[in-house]
Amino acid sequence: MILSIKNLHANIGEKEILKGVSLDIREGEIHAIMGPNGAGKSTLSAVLTGNPAYTVTQGEVLFNGKDLLKMSPEDRAREGLFLCFQYPVEIPGVSMVNFMRTAVNEKRKYQGQKELTASEFLKLMREKKELVEIDDRLTKRAVNEGFSGGEKKRNEIFQMAMLEPSLSILDEADSGLDIDALRIVAEGVNKLHNDKNASIVITHYQRLLDYIVPDFVHILYEGKIVKTGDKKLALTLEQKGYDWIKDELV
Amino acid sequence: MNPLIINKEYTETIYLFNEAKADLHIVQQEASTLNLFVLHLTDLSCMQHIHIQQEGEHCRTNIYGLAVLKGKQEYLCDTLLEHQKENGTSTLIFKYLLFDEAKGEFVGRLKVQPNAQHTDASQTNRNIVLSDKAKMRTMPQLEIYADDVRCSHGATTGALDNEAIFYMQQRGLQKDLARQLLLQAFAEDIFEKMPIQQQEQARNLFTQRI
Ligand SMILES: Nc1ncnc2c1ncn2[C@@H]1O[C@H](COP(=O)(O)OP(=O)(O)OP(=O)(O)O)[C@@H](O)[C@H]1O
Ligand SMILES: [Mg+2]
Repeated sequence: MILSIKNLHANIGEKEILKGVSLDIREGEIHAIMGPNGAGKSTLSAVLTGNPAYTVTQGEVLFNGKDLLKMSPEDRAREGLFLCFQYPVEIPGVSMVNFMRTAVNEKRKYQGQKELTASEFLKLMREKKELVEIDDRLTKRAVNEGFSGGEKKRNEIFQMAMLEPSLSILDEADSGLDIDALRIVAEGVNKLHNDKNASIVITHYQRLLDYIVPDFVHILYEGKIVKTGDKKLALTLEQKGYDWIKDELV
Repeated sequence: MNPLIINKEYTETIYLFNEAKADLHIVQQEASTLNLFVLHLTDLSCMQHIHIQQEGEHCRTNIYGLAVLKGKQEYLCDTLLEHQKENGTSTLIFKYLLFDEAKGEFVGRLKVQPNAQHTDASQTNRNIVLSDKAKMRTMPQLEIYADDVRCSHGATTGALDNEAIFYMQQRGLQKDLARQLLLQAFAEDIFEKMPIQQQEQARNLFTQRI
């Protein structure tokens, strides 16, 4: 088991957003999470990655057998948790190359591996750049600075490729992408997927799930997972919207 | 104090690295260039006055400054840039980083005389306040008496970008390191304007200071 969430409750300020989420994710699985705006999907990714703006009030999360909620955000990342942000942050003055070299080596040190030499690192960059078809011009700039929405998403997938996480959470990786970029991002995710790692794909659209085929589809509604199914559930949502879920709940 | 004169068509580059006691008065003659770099990276509390006059036409003035203040330190930098003749240009970027209970003040005075048509002047003051008790005051003062000129100024004071810090932590960088990188990026803007040799020295002074 990679991730096991039990009865997770979380607040922002005084307001409860997650109201008892439970979810198990095993090696090799892809889970899609769908749900209306404001349901708490981004909140779930923020809480799992340790964003200090949120407080967990109840529940537990095991990540590769370890107590995730006790770890600092950076240790969660070094343990292999990766979030592809819905809104990646621009960091002027910090170069992509420098940032990635630091990130890769911090993770290696944490896992007791030797740091990469400059040439090993450049080789890795080249490999991964090809894998996600990202332009040289992007990796030469400051982190996300002046990138278009689509370029930022592609840059997230590039970083994911560099860090080889065991669990990646993609929060609306498809928003703002043109058709080609969508294909490239999805193919990138598929190429990185194997039977040892897992992904959570948060999306509003069936379209992305044509490319990244999920083993499970969950509906998050008002802070809870109210329904779980296979990929057909996403099709049903596309056709019927969320109203029938609300009807089922009352 | 006698002003320092920069002769016609000459270029003068001046470094005031931790020399805040040295007030400066410079007069630029026609088509001369002044590059001035000011670093205040010591514990000294003081006031520093910098007065530049573009006395001839076609002068260029570039001023870049960085101050890192800690403890109960107070530092005031008061700049006065006078465009007196036509076709002068000037760029000023001054940055402050304030820790603890430090107090910083920046006065950016820009005077464009009636004769100084086609002046192109820009002033920027950016500050990062790292503690609730630190205080920054910034006072741009523009006096413009010519009509065909381009003058811009901007001043911002804010905290370190917490979202950027979290983003870096999510990639496995320790919080302290993330902060460090943001502070370096903030300062690098000034260093990269220097000639290579001085960049190294400036970076070292900065790293020791923060
Ligand atoms: N800083 C905040 N202060 C107060 N409420 C917040 C804050 N951030 C988020 N919320 C609220 O938390 C709820 C869940 O937001 P969240 O971003 O997790 O939704 P989401 O499911 O990701 O929605 P979307 O599909 O629009 O991305 C929303 O009602 C939102 O308004
Ligand atoms: Mg969201």
